[in-house]
Formats: sequence, structure tokens, C-alpha cells
Amino acid sequence: MSIVVGARAHWMKNLTLRPALVAGLLIVGFWIVVALTIDVWTVYDPLKIVARKLQAPSLQHWLGTDALGRDVMTRTLYGVRYSLSISFVVVVCSVVIGSLVGALAGFFGGWTDSVLMRLVDVTLAFPPVLLAMAVAASLGPGLQNAAIAVIVVWWPVYARLMRGQVLDVISRDHIEAARAGGASSFRLLTKHILPLSWTPTIISATMDFGQVVLLAASLSFIGLGAQPPAPEWGAMISDGASHFYSWWIAFGPGMAILMLGLGFNFIGDALRDILDPREH
Amino acid sequence: MQLTNNETRRASIRRRAVLAAAATVLTSFAAFPTLGLAADSGRPLVVARDMDLNSLDPARAFCDTCQIYLSSVYDRLVDLSPDNKSIVPMLAKEWSASDDSTVITFKLDPNAKFSDGSQVEAKDVKWTLERLKNIKGGIAYILDNVQSIETPDEATVVVTLTAPNSEFVGSLTAPYAGIINSDVVAEQGGNAGADAATTDTAEQWLLANSAGAGPFVLESYSPSQELRLKRNENYWGKKPAVAEFIFLQSKDAVSQTQLLESGSADIAMQVDPTTAKNITNEDIIVETQPSPNMVYIALSPGAKNLAHPLDAKVREAIASAIDYDGIIDLTVDGKAIRLPAPIPVGFPGGGVGEPIKYDVEKAKALMAEAGAADGFKLDATFPNVNQYGVDYTLMMQKIQQDLAEINIELELAPVEFSVWREKVNGDGIPMTAVFFAPDYYGSSQYAQYFAMMDGTVWYKRAGGAADPALANPETPKMLADALAAPSDKSAELFEKLAAVMANDHIILPILSPEAVFAFRKGISGLRFSACCNMVLADIKAE
Repeated sequence: MSIVVGARAHWMKNLTLRPALVAGLLIVGFWIVVALTIDVWTVYDPLKIVARKLQAPSLQHWLGTDALGRDVMTRTLYGVRYSLSISFVVVVCSVVIGSLVGALAGFFGGWTDSVLMRLVDVTLAFPPVLLAMAVAASLGPGLQNAAIAVIVVWWPVYARLMRGQVLDVISRDHIEAARAGGASSFRLLTKHILPLSWTPTIISATMDFGQVVLLAASLSFIGLGAQPPAPEWGAMISDGASHFYSWWIAFGPGMAILMLGLGFNFIGDALRDILDPREH
Repeated sequence: MQLTNNETRRASIRRRAVLAAAATVLTSFAAFPTLGLAADSGRPLVVARDMDLNSLDPARAFCDTCQIYLSSVYDRLVDLSPDNKSIVPMLAKEWSASDDSTVITFKLDPNAKFSDGSQVEAKDVKWTLERLKNIKGGIAYILDNVQSIETPDEATVVVTLTAPNSEFVGSLTAPYAGIINSDVVAEQGGNAGADAATTDTAEQWLLANSAGAGPFVLESYSPSQELRLKRNENYWGKKPAVAEFIFLQSKDAVSQTQLLESGSADIAMQVDPTTAKNITNEDIIVETQPSPNMVYIALSPGAKNLAHPLDAKVREAIASAIDYDGIIDLTVDGKAIRLPAPIPVGFPGGGVGEPIKYDVEKAKALMAEAGAADGFKLDATFPNVNQYGVDYTLMMQKIQQDLAEINIELELAPVEFSVWREKVNGDGIPMTAVFFAPDYYGSSQYAQYFAMMDGTVWYKRAGGAADPALANPETPKMLADALAAPSDKSAELFEKLAAVMANDHIILPILSPEAVFAFRKGISGLRFSACCNMVLADIKAE
């Protein structure tokens, strides 16, 4: 009992002493609040023409208007819904698929390991952006298909991570003891091995949120992700690129991607320092 | 200029470094003499352009850049004068037609020589036109009703048609009808026989060489990089003022503008009016000229998986619900006109009458009459291009908002052009956006492409095979009559045909944009031709 309390105190101390973590939580928290509440307080409709086209930032339109005359600020704020939801779906699905494959490979070893890990190697051998583009292009443009494409690229990372972790844990004495005690494979894996193998995956997943936001935006930028008129950040930056002289069109979504990516990285970094015992 | 300003501000100790940097910059510019500024009129002119070249073979090419290239390298029998209406002699010094305009006799100019110095003879004309017809490329339809081509002597060509066609001579101003040196190209695998589509192997050679009688010859071509033309020193007509043209691949309006502003390019034609407003360099001039080009929306009642039939009432409702002037303002800053029918202003029967009015109330009433007051979803797949300054994604988003007013929910899907072509010719697309540029002065090409009658491209795409009721039984006769009539009467008949095409509400002309020329001060003679796009031979540089 005292060990747990001690651990928690250590945890809390770490939390308060890390400005990066606080900043990360504030940034991500801000965007989550925006995503959940924007319908209530938005001034403009993100899809409607509300003013003259290509107006520079002003008091009415803080980030100006785009080539159609829509408010860029409103669109940027709405855009977070796409980015957050796609990154959440992609990371969760990738973690589930990847961890499952990695755990099975590590636990059973032998030919199961060989087959599964060769599959992982093949997938990882492709440059991620190219593979995502190929998958998205073959599925057809759309946000859903972009999410599937990113999952296809992303899951092998977790498979490798989980396999390594399982291999590390499986050789420990208490596993041997449980095995000798007659525990089934299923019980061994779920009760004894997996609970000790999660930490690197959680750290990596947190860091990956930012990366996924970026990759999904890239797919939209080249027209394979969100379709017009969706206010997705990558698609908006693509609009901005073709209206190069109206810098404000790409500025809002660009800064938003930067903020969100930074926020997730801060959190991930701090989590690694706190959770990863090898760092202490 | 900025270097000097900086220099005065800097401490003397840094002056030397700045000078050194300036020297380096100047030296590196000097290393690219073709791209820098020079006063010599003999220097090449650089044209920044998104090149859509699919081939350099007159019988196979079919694109906007092809028009510029082919018309500069291959002279045709006849040319279109700068008024974009009158047909003037080119390789044919004169021509005459039989009373029923089915037999046309061309007399070749005895001075006409190919770039290798050999004489342009009747056999070259016969060979070229037969090859064009038999290879069955994009433009081959203009020769569909050619019955025979005879060459009674070296300087005479007699073309016999199966039906009267007052626009036939005019259609030979099309750049694709450029006459080829048959001896040279036949030696390189060229073939004009009935099986030319499979047996002709000259295309490869024509990508690296030219064999025409035009003011320029091909110097070199690197796909997706550059196309170089140099003056034909053997040219039999008036020699062009500019010795060399370099077409530099440049994808969009912004990069073309930057090439112009930095002095790396001299001419750009794909700078849209909105981007052009941002040009600050006083040495760059932006001019617009009326063009016969057209941006249009097409509805396909025969497309698969329609949520609600696109019957006549719904089509008229859609046509009435589009805010055309709003689109013209949004996409090209007002630098375009509207068209009452899919025939451009200035062409026979074109530009007559009032374009359809933007009237949301009427559109709603029509939707109610059609039993679709609650609206429906409509797939709108379109090519993600920027054509004639119109950003298609922008235009379609505006139309999406317009149609939302009558409860039609457009599902926009911008796709690559090749994907679009496959879909529009396959399952069909309920609502799409496309563009059209004429290849010669004449309205028959519009009827043969857009009219609802058997054999036209859009009759097929609109679903004519599944729903023959789309066809207007009068149309083929109206077209034949218009082509058989003398030219003063023919415009009137085309006008009637145009009205029929407009009333179908299958092809909805959105706008006819002005052609934009952005160029360096000192360049003159830029003009937009209805057959040939930009005419290089007329361009002069100080």
C-alpha cells in the first residue's frame, strides 16, 4: 500500500514540476473545448459566404476571408473537429491492432512470430507518406478513407513496440512461476504480461497524436482527405497555396496544426519522463 | 536595387562582404543567359505555361498547348485572320467550292516550302488529311464526311464531301490540320492508309523533330520540363520577329507570376485576374482579350444512381438557381461574359438572346412542380483543374451554396482529369464542370459536341443510349440545313439550333472568360486566336 501511495506522490510531484506538460495539457484542452462547444458560440457559419472574398484580417474577420468569402478564423476553429477525431480514431485503432499483433508474435514466438513480424517489416519498409497516399488513392478520396490509409501505415510501429516489451516481460520469473502454476496462455497474456507491457505504447501513442494530425492534413492537402467545402486544415492550407498572395488563408490552419502538434508532443515527452522507468 | 540600399546602411567593414555576395549573385545570373534580361531582340522569349501536351503529332495531339505548338510549326491550307472570323490563304493561295459546297478545290501557293526546303505539294496535303482522318485522333471528326481527296496535279487538291458543309474550309484552320512533309514522315513510319490508327509509328519521331511548313521548327522537347521552338530560317512567308521560344513548365498562376516577376519568364497566359492584381513589378503588363473559350456545367439525366430523375423541370430549376454573375466575380474578378447557349459570342448563331436569369423563386417553383421541393443529393464529380483562370473547386463550392437554396445537396468530388474522363464516359456524372476551346471558327463543332443527337459526345455522356427521348429529332436536320445554307443564312439557322441546345438545359454555359496575357514590357503582338490560341509568329520583342 505504501508503495502505491509513494508512487502516486512521485507522479504528482512530476506533474506539477513540468511546465511543458502543463502547456501541452492547456493547448490540447483548449482545442478539445473548442471542438465540443464551438457550435454554441460561433459567430459565422464555416461553410457559408459571409463577406467579400480575400479580405485581409480585420476586426470583423480576425484571420480574414478566403477565396469564396468564408471566415478563415471560424473555419480554422471548426477544423479541429476533423483533426482531433481522425487522430483519435487512427491512434486507437493502430494501438489495438498493432498491440494485438505484437503481443501474439512475442508471446507465441516461432512461426507465428515470423509471419506476423515479416508483415510488419514489409509495411514499415514503405515510406509512410507514400504508402498512405497509395492506399488513400486506391480507396478514393474522403476523410474516412484517409483515416484507414493512416491506420494501415501506423499500426506496425505499435506491433514492434509491443512485441519487444512482451519478449522482455515473458522471461521474468513471475511469468515462469505462473506458467508452472498451470495458467492458460490467455490468462498469462492478459493478467501477467500485458499489464506490464503498456507503458512504451502509451507514451508513443501520445506523441503520435501530433504526427497523425500532420499526416492526415498532408493527405487532405494533396486532395486525398477531406473534400470541399469541409474546413479541414490541410485542405485549407492547400487553398492558401493557390492564393499565395493572401497569406492569411493558410496562416490560421498552419498555426493550428503547429499548436496541436506541439501540444501533443509536450504531453508525450512529459509522460515518457514520468512513466518510463529507464529514464530514472 | 536592394543590394545598394543595404550597402549604404552597412558599416564599411561589411561592405566588402556585401560586394562579394553581389558579385556572386551576378555571376550566377550570367551563367544562365537565357533566363536573364537582355536587350538583344535575338534572345529567346520564355513562356511559362502548364503544358498539357499529349503528343506533338498533329494527328494525335489534342490540347491547348498543342494548338500553340502545331500552329507555329505546321502551316495549314488556310488560316484564320486576326479578326477571328475571316478565312485567309495560307498554303492554299486560293480555293473554290461547287454550288452545293460538296466539292472544294484548293490551289497551293507555288512559294510554299517545308522547313527542309522541299516544295509543299498536293500529295502532302492528301497524305496529311487522310492520315489525320484514319488515325482517328480527337479532331478527326472534322473529316468525317470527306468522301475523297484527289490530286489532279502537284498544286491542286480536290476534296469531295458526302454532304454540303459551308464550314468545311474553315475547319481546316484547325492546328491539327497542319500539313506534314509526307516524304520525310513516311520514312519515319508515317502511314496514311485506312489502318493508320494501328500501323502508323511516326509519333515517336515527331516528338523530337518537326516536318512542317510553318514559321518555327521544333528544337527540343523534354516532357514536363520544356519545349523549345526556333525560327524556321527557310520559312516561305513573313519571317517571325522572335528567333526562339522556350516554353517552361510551370504549374500554376502563382509560380508563373513569380517567374515573370523575377525575370525568368517573359510571357504567361495562365495567370488568373485575382493573382494578376498582386503583381507589383511595373515592368509586367497584364492584358485581357475576349476569348471564345467556355466554362460549363453539364447535367446527365442518364447517369447511374440518381436520387431523383434529372427531368426537364429539375434541369431548368438548376439552371435558374445558379448565381452566374456571382461566380464570374468570385472566380475571375468579373473578367468574363455570360453565354445564352453553348456557342461563343461572335460565332455563327452565338451570343444571340438573353442568358438564363438567376431566379431562385422560379427555381423553387420548378422544383415543386417536378415533385422535388424537398430536394435531393446529387453527385458532382469534377476535374480539379484551374482552367482559363477559373478554379473549379472554388466555382463548384459556390454552386453548391447556390443549389442549397433549392434543397439540392451537391456532393463535391474534385478528381484528377484522367479519373474524371473515365467516370464521365463510364457510369456518367449527374452534374459536372468542364471547359471547351474551339479549334476553328465555326459553330458546327459545338453542335457536333454538345447537341442532343446521335453521335455527339455529350449525347452519349448525358445518357442518350439509355434514354433516346433526350434527343431532339429535329437537331440533325437543323445542323445539315445550317451547313448547307449560304453563310449569311447559316448564322440564322445556327441561332435556332443554339436555342434548342440552350432549352435542353443539359449544357449550362457558366462563363466565357477573357484570355489573360501577362508579359514583360517591350513585348508586343500578343493575340488570342480562335483556332490557334497564342500566335507565336506575330509576337515581337524590343
